[in-house]
Amino acid sequence: MNARLVRQLVGLYPQEWRTRYGEEFYSFLETHPSNLRTVLNVIGGAMHERVLSLGRFKMDRRQNSLALMLYASLGALAAGINFYWTVDDTPLAAAMRNYLALFTSWNLVRAGSLLAFAAFATVGIPVFLTIVRTAFAAQRWDVVCRLAVPPCAALVTLAWMVAAARLSGGHWVPTPWDVTGDWTAPHDWPPLATRWALSSVTFVLMMAGTIVSAISVRQAIRRSDLSKRRRLWFAAPSMLLAGSIAVMAIGVLSWGWFVQQYAASDFHVRDGGLFSSTNFASWMASCIVFLAATLMAAKGARSALSLKTE
Amino acid sequence: MSGTRLGPGTLYGAIARLEREKLIEPLPVEERRQPYRLTAKGLRVLRAKLATLHGFARAGLRKLEAR
Repeated sequence: MNARLVRQLVGLYPQEWRTRYGEEFYSFLETHPSNLRTVLNVIGGAMHERVLSLGRFKMDRRQNSLALMLYASLGALAAGINFYWTVDDTPLAAAMRNYLALFTSWNLVRAGSLLAFAAFATVGIPVFLTIVRTAFAAQRWDVVCRLAVPPCAALVTLAWMVAAARLSGGHWVPTPWDVTGDWTAPHDWPPLATRWALSSVTFVLMMAGTIVSAISVRQAIRRSDLSKRRRLWFAAPSMLLAGSIAVMAIGVLSWGWFVQQYAASDFHVRDGGLFSSTNFASWMASCIVFLAATLMAAKGARSALSLKTE
Repeated sequence: MSGTRLGPGTLYGAIARLEREKLIEPLPVEERRQPYRLTAKGLRVLRAKLATLHGFARAGLRKLEAR
């Protein structure tokens, strides 16, 4: 088998597999006659190893802590956006001006989100730069491509929303929060069926983009050597992140409690979302995601704190 | 041994799995060839598998002869 074909075939295997068997497999393939059956057999073997490698190679504690912080941040971001759109431009926003407790809870969420952003940036930016620098130095384009997935996913979703808004007359943007509810849609919005269809696509793009981004960045983290990063870089921001997401969760929970006391009728009207749910249901969804994000961030902080025992 | 020639992908898939399960281990390279040998655990497992196959074959043959 010629050297170029052998190199290409060996390149199909996962990087971790190649590190262990690449050289001997290369020598072995060179002695083999080149035919379609052999090539297909090697391609099949490579695909099999790729599937197996998905769950086999464990991350170290630094990588694990970072991945958990990433999931927690994405969860908090999704829950925060949903919470914001549940309240924005509704009678609930007006109620907040009249009741201090409601306004305080809302500000608790805002303060938590600023702290969470600071924690995420403190650990995220240096680690991101380290990963990019080492990936370029080692010509690991697979890592660079994976890091490019989140901005690409965001751009695709944004491009879709802009294009759909223009196609539907330019008076309505297809978000999953402005479809139908206990209100009459403005006359210049597209018909309900169109709003449903376009918003569903946005919803699918957002969900898929978030999931694919989380998987891609996790894989980039797993493929990068972060062992030289000191414990302090992970421990302090991860605790701050866990604390601030917990503050956001408390803020959202208390906001729901107070709004039930002061503006219960507005709390239970259908809020215009894609699933025709009520403000209460949307708030509940935000609470669940915030609590899950808090648990993940706490787990990430625990993993970062245990670095001293490594 | 069985007269079947394994493809390189199948062979290295098996080698990787057997090494992962600590049933074989690599020996020093010989002129670009990488030999492997059975570990103590591999010997035990192979013996047990062969004994099972042996018992299975004997039971099968007895059934055939009884017909």
